[in-house]
Amino acid sequence: MSTHVSGPRTRMRPERRAPRVFYLMVLPALALFAVFHTVPLLTGMFFSLTNYAGYGEWSFVGLRNYVNLFGDDRIYGAYGFTFLFAIVSTVAVNIIALSIAIALNGRIRFKTGFRGIFFIPNILSILIVGYVFNYLFSNSVPAIADALGITSLTTSILASADTAWIGVVILSVWQAAAFNIIIYLAGLQTIPTELYEAAALDGASPWKQFTSITFPMIGAFFTINMVLSLKNFLQVFDQIVSLTAGGPGTSTESISLLIYRGGFQGGEYGYQTANAVIYLFVIIAISFIQLRVLQRREASF
Amino acid sequence: MKLPPGPARRALRCVAGGASLALVLSGCSASEDVVTLDFFQFKPEAVANFSAIIDEFEAENPGIRVVQNHVPDADTAIRTLLVKDKTPDVLTLNTNGRYGELAQACVFADLSDLPVVEQVRPAVSGIVEDLGSCADGEVNAVPFSSNASGILYNRDIFAQYGVEVPTTWDELIAAAETFEAAGVTPFYTTIKDAWTMGPAFVNLGGALQPEDFFDRLRAEGPDVASGEVSFSKDYPEAMEKLTTLYGYGQDGAAGRDYNAGNAAFASGESAMYLQGSYAIPAIRAVNPDVNIGSFPYPATNSPEKTVVVSGVDVGVSIGRDTEHPEEARRFVEFLMSPDVVERYAQEQSAFSPLATGADTTDPALAGLAPYFEDNRIIGFIDHQLPASLPLPQYLQALVLGGRTEDFLATMDREWSKIAARTIPNEKD
Repeated sequence: MSTHVSGPRTRMRPERRAPRVFYLMVLPALALFAVFHTVPLLTGMFFSLTNYAGYGEWSFVGLRNYVNLFGDDRIYGAYGFTFLFAIVSTVAVNIIALSIAIALNGRIRFKTGFRGIFFIPNILSILIVGYVFNYLFSNSVPAIADALGITSLTTSILASADTAWIGVVILSVWQAAAFNIIIYLAGLQTIPTELYEAAALDGASPWKQFTSITFPMIGAFFTINMVLSLKNFLQVFDQIVSLTAGGPGTSTESISLLIYRGGFQGGEYGYQTANAVIYLFVIIAISFIQLRVLQRREASF
Repeated sequence: MKLPPGPARRALRCVAGGASLALVLSGCSASEDVVTLDFFQFKPEAVANFSAIIDEFEAENPGIRVVQNHVPDADTAIRTLLVKDKTPDVLTLNTNGRYGELAQACVFADLSDLPVVEQVRPAVSGIVEDLGSCADGEVNAVPFSSNASGILYNRDIFAQYGVEVPTTWDELIAAAETFEAAGVTPFYTTIKDAWTMGPAFVNLGGALQPEDFFDRLRAEGPDVASGEVSFSKDYPEAMEKLTTLYGYGQDGAAGRDYNAGNAAFASGESAMYLQGSYAIPAIRAVNPDVNIGSFPYPATNSPEKTVVVSGVDVGVSIGRDTEHPEEARRFVEFLMSPDVVERYAQEQSAFSPLATGADTTDPALAGLAPYFEDNRIIGFIDHQLPASLPLPQYLQALVLGGRTEDFLATMDREWSKIAARTIPNEKD
């Protein structure tokens, strides 16, 4: 390319710039994004400075909502549960999805059929699946445990504040694994088979092949899966609504559920909007840090 | 060709009359001057009853079409609609604390000049008034039906074991012991649905709390801990009694919900059931022949102190900014006409709020009806709590093995925090 050999005085040639029409083509998307995303976001930030109940009259209260947030132990409880849940689920979903993806990428029978089956959870509505799991946990599992004489499972795990979160993890991981499997499969298919052939000739064990070839080669896919899963699990909502409704007590109340409950049912729209604004920044910060750390690891091999 | 009047002919004429897309979308109201009222109906048990009432109303008023909208979790749905500025034309709501907050926010129209307002029993309209209104003297909801919260029991099981209806707390516990010894579940409890602990809470708490508890609590604001009244000081007895009752529940109660409870009580799986009159239709839907009786919570050992908790189960309101105020009022007047109210009360095992209304003849309510006549009624105390305080969830945690002190301390702490962060509007 001629531009590469240009001297320091040479300016970028006009054709290197994107033609104006490209910008015009982006405009509709930008407008839609602004109308449906940026404007509501800014409206929310505005209302977080008021005592708006969601209806009726309101006045400005400055930063008092934010100050009150820091003294609210119910919010700390929700943060504690959400982070515990999100970290456990992210680790579990990535281990499971990667294992299944590797299995599905191998030379097995009915490969396409299995891939289809493992993708099904992703297209089902979480709410509907959640009510099915709810029934299974509350009725089927205790009945089976009763018949088999497993006393520890004869009461529904959703019925105890100590174990209800496990039920939420099981449903969420089951549902989220499908999408992660697809991404890992896409990643696995980018690895040239020659690498494995060469490794096999050198006598590398399957585990060695995994740690030295497979995992490093899909580093970028691992990063994206980790970041997306953690972000999605931090926003957990449907799973909890259909499974435990935040209960028993408030033991599985996630931050999203608390914002929705307090804001819409509790008539504290302004206060919970402030909570949502803070949570937005928390999620952005976590995703950013995660991306930086994981990408550095990616580059190092 | 002649078609009978009704939707089919309407649709046909609609298409014939130049079917522009806009007309089709608007249900052809413009071409025929049919006004469509958006009717928000909160009660899942009563969808069929209201459909029948609407059919009659539409037959009498051909110019008005009423669309009944029913959603699960109506309290949240109505707030979501309000946030979007989509107040329904006519709505029914459970007249509770949340209704009070909405009324004070001037969401509903003033109905004080509706003739039917005068016909409501003063005690009943007082309950609605106490919850608050947009301005003094305004009526923002007309009571359509009243409920009563007591203990339901199975007459056949009581007769079988020779147990008399308890009138004191000790007799209630003795009855529970008798049933338990005989292998019959005393109370079928449904801890999976957090709200189902509410009825026991409002009955025991309402009967045992000191006079003007909530007025004094409100006056204390955030300083509950150092104040004269608080949940920790005044509610231990009520909460101990509540957990005692739930101790007589069946195994696996934590995994059972309201529907399961209604079905189980209907098929005679327990002697008693801690639910109010509103559960009776749902129970009879499972087993029409179940022999239900009722009695008020004997909160103490002095029967003369026993009271019944009653609230306005269904209140009818009109959206303040409805585009069809005339038609909406006609529909509300129709709803409030004595025979509609009476029939609904009969069908839903409710009490009629009208002064002219006959006393209930439902045998299942016979144990509670005398308390109405004697005016030994108290309101639902949970209507006094702010909606952002998750009382049902805290009750659920308590009943599932929490400690009473923790529950009471949490109630005090939440009350105080909410009082501290609730910033009133400056009234102009």
